[in-house]
Amino acid sequence: MFLTRSEYDRGVNTFSPEGRLFQVEYAIEAIKLGSTTVGVCTPEGVVLAVEKRVQSPLLEASSIEKIMEIDSHLGCAMSGLIADARTMIDHARVTSQNHAFTYDEKIKVESVTQAVCDLALRFGESVHDEDAMMSRPFGVALLIAGVDEKGPQLFHTDPSGTFVRYDAKAVGSGSEAAQSELQDKWHKQMTLKEAHILTLRVLKQVMEEKLDQHNVQLAQVTSDKGFEILDEVRLKALIDDM
Amino acid sequence: MPDGSFSHPQQRSFNPYTENGGTILAIAGADFTVIAGDTRQSEGYSIQTRYAPKVFRLTDRAVLAVNGFAADGNMFVKKVKQRLEWYRHAHAKDMPLRAIARLIQTMLYAQRFFPYYVYNILGGIEEDGTGAVYSFDPVGSYEREACRAAGAAQSLVQPFLDNQIYFKNQQAAPGQSHPLHLPLSDVLSIVIDSFTSATERHIEVGDGLEMYVVLAKGRSAQGLEGGRGVQELTTRTDGDRVFVIRRELKKD
Amino acid sequence: MDHFPTNWGRPRNDAQDLYNTYPLHQRPNNTPKDVFADGVQRTQQPIVTGTSILAILYKDGIMMAADTLASYGSLSRFKTIQRLQSVGENTVIGASGDMSDFQYVQSILEELMIEEFTANDQNELGPAEIHEYLSRVYYARRSKMNPLWNSVLVGGKKDGKRFLAYVDLLGTTYSASTLATGYGAYIALPLLRSAVEGREDELTEEQAQKLLTDCMRVLFYRDARSLDKFQIAKVTDEGVVISDPIKLDTTWGFAEKIRGYGPQTQ
Repeated sequence: MFLTRSEYDRGVNTFSPEGRLFQVEYAIEAIKLGSTTVGVCTPEGVVLAVEKRVQSPLLEASSIEKIMEIDSHLGCAMSGLIADARTMIDHARVTSQNHAFTYDEKIKVESVTQAVCDLALRFGESVHDEDAMMSRPFGVALLIAGVDEKGPQLFHTDPSGTFVRYDAKAVGSGSEAAQSELQDKWHKQMTLKEAHILTLRVLKQVMEEKLDQHNVQLAQVTSDKGFEILDEVRLKALIDDM
Repeated sequence: MPDGSFSHPQQRSFNPYTENGGTILAIAGADFTVIAGDTRQSEGYSIQTRYAPKVFRLTDRAVLAVNGFAADGNMFVKKVKQRLEWYRHAHAKDMPLRAIARLIQTMLYAQRFFPYYVYNILGGIEEDGTGAVYSFDPVGSYEREACRAAGAAQSLVQPFLDNQIYFKNQQAAPGQSHPLHLPLSDVLSIVIDSFTSATERHIEVGDGLEMYVVLAKGRSAQGLEGGRGVQELTTRTDGDRVFVIRRELKKD
Repeated sequence: MDHFPTNWGRPRNDAQDLYNTYPLHQRPNNTPKDVFADGVQRTQQPIVTGTSILAILYKDGIMMAADTLASYGSLSRFKTIQRLQSVGENTVIGASGDMSDFQYVQSILEELMIEEFTANDQNELGPAEIHEYLSRVYYARRSKMNPLWNSVLVGGKKDGKRFLAYVDLLGTTYSASTLATGYGAYIALPLLRSAVEGREDELTEEQAQKLLTDCMRVLFYRDARSLDKFQIAKVTDEGVVISDPIKLDTTWGFAEKIRGYGPQTQ
C-alpha cells in the first residue's frame, strides 16, 4: 500500500499492522534530542546529573531547571520536552503528599514511579462524554531517584509508560556513549563521592562544551539528608576533584 | 393558630443509629499486644445474639476492635480490609500498623458529617517490633497508647486498667519502681478479669470473650500454642504471629 | 490536572471537588444531582405493618413462622397476606414491618434471582449470599436516610449447611440458632432459646413445628397486632416448603371468669 506508514502515524491510538504505536515511538525519539541526563545508584544514595545547554551567553544558566524535587526522599531528572515533565512531576508530588497524608509514611520509589507511568498512555481522542487529558504522548523520559525502606533506587520511565529499575542509566542525546561508559565504570560498592565523579566524567565525555559548574546540574538523594541539589560551590569543588 | 400548634411544620425524623452494647479493650506489651472484645450483641434490653465478633484480624501484625453501632462497625471493617487489599496490590507489602492507624483516621474523618458511630481500637506490632495500641473516636481523632478500653463498660474497665497497667494510685515498694511493661501471662489475666467483672456489673457485656494476641517476630509463643481455646491465625511464617483465645463469659 | 486516577476517563464535573480534597481512592460523586431531590418524601414511619417472625434451627434444616396479617395501625387491614417468601431453591425470607417496603424488596430479589439465573453458570445464590445482599440494600438505604422499614429473617440450607440470620432497617445484622422479630423477640424468643439452644442437631421436624406453633399461640394471646392464622416454612435438603395457612386452636373459656376489665362489673 502507498504510504502505509503515514496512515498509522495519524491516530495516536491506532496500532500499525506490525503492532506498533508510531506516535509513542516518535515520542521516545524526541528524548534522544534532549540533553544528556545521568543517574547512578549506590548503597549510600542516588546521584542525578544533567547537562544544561547554555545556548547563549545572555542566558541565565541557573534558570534552567532539569532536576526537581518530588518529595523530601524523592528526586527526578529529565530529558526531552521539559514542559511535559512538569505535568508528570506535579502528579508525582500530589501522589506523594496524598500518600503521606493518608498513610503517615513515605511513599515507595516504585509506587510513585508507577503513579507517573499511569499518566503516560492517557492521550488520544475522547470517547463520548469522557474527559480526555492529553492529545499526544509525553515527550520526556524521567530518571526518578529516591530512598525508601528498600534502600536507594533509580527508575527510568519513558513515554510508553514503561518503567525499569537501573543501577545506572543515561538518557538523552549522548545516552549511548554515556550508557556504555556507565556499564564499564559502575560497580556495586561505589561511594557517593565516586558516583558524583562518575556522573560528571560521563557528562564531560558526551558534552560539546567544556563542563563547568554552570552547565551541569547535580543532585543526590541519601537516606539521612534526602533530596538535595548541589549548589555551584559544591559542584565546583567536585569538578576540581575530577 | 392561636395555640401555635401548626405554626411550624414538624417532622418526626428517622434515627439512623442505634447502640449495640459490648466492650472492647487492648493492652500493649513490650513485644506483643492483646486486643479483646466480648461477643454479645444487644439492643436495649434484648440480647440479639450471643456470638457477634467485634475483633478482627487485619494482617499478621494488626488487629482491629470495633464497638458501637454494629452495622456501621461491620461496614467500616469491611472497608478497611478492602483498603488494605488495595494497598497490597499497589505497594506490594502489608500496610504497617501506623499506616493503618492513619488510614483509619482519614476514613473516619471522611464521614465527619455522617459519622460511623463506632469506637475503634487498633492493636498490633509496629515496624520496630514494639507492641502498640491506637485508639480512635468516631470522627478519627487518634493517639497511640499502652492500653485502652471502649464501649458499654469503658467506665468500669478503664479505671481498672489505669490501676493495673499504668499503676495509678499505687506506690512502688521502697527502692523499686513499677515495670514499664507486663509479661503476656499477666496481661491475659488482667484482660480476663476485666471482662468477668464487666460481665458481672454491666448487662450489655457477656456471653463470650475473644482475645487476640499479636506476637512480635522472633518472640516465643510459649504457653499459647496448643493452649485451651487457642487458635493461630498467622498466614505467613517467619513474621509476626496472631492468635485468638476464646473463653466463655456468663450469659445472664 | 485531575490527580485522581479513579476520575480519569470519566465525565468531568468541575462543580464537585475542584481542589481535589478527596483521598485518592475515594472518587467524589460526579453523577448529576437530581434537581427535585429536595422535594422527595422519604419513609418516616411504617404504614401497613406485619408483626413478629420466628425462626429456629432444627435437625434437618431451618423452620420459620409468621402470621398472615397486615395491620393498618390498630386495624386488621389485610388478613391473608403472605409474609414468608422463598428465594431460589434454598432460601426463605420472612419480614415484619412495612409491607410495601417488603414487597419492594421481594421485587428486587426476584430481579436479582432472574439475573443470576440468566448467567447460567450452575451457581445459585444461597441463604448466606442473599442475606449479605439484603444487608447491603438495607444499610445503603438507611445511609441515604431513606430506610426500608423492615426487620427481616433469612433462613436456609445449602450444601448441607444451615443458615439463619437477621437484618433490619438500620442494616444491623446478626446470626443465632433462634431468631425473632418484633414482639416475638420479647415474648417468644425466651421460649425458643430454652427449647432450642444446644439441641439444634436433635430437634425433629415435629418438635420444631410444635414449638413454633406454641409460640405463635402465645403471641396471638398477647400481641394485639397478631392473627390466629399463620404459615410455617421449612428449608431442608429437599428445598423450601411453605405451608398453607394454619389456624391456631385457641382457648378463650377462661375469659369469662376474668374480672376487672371489659363490660363486666363486679
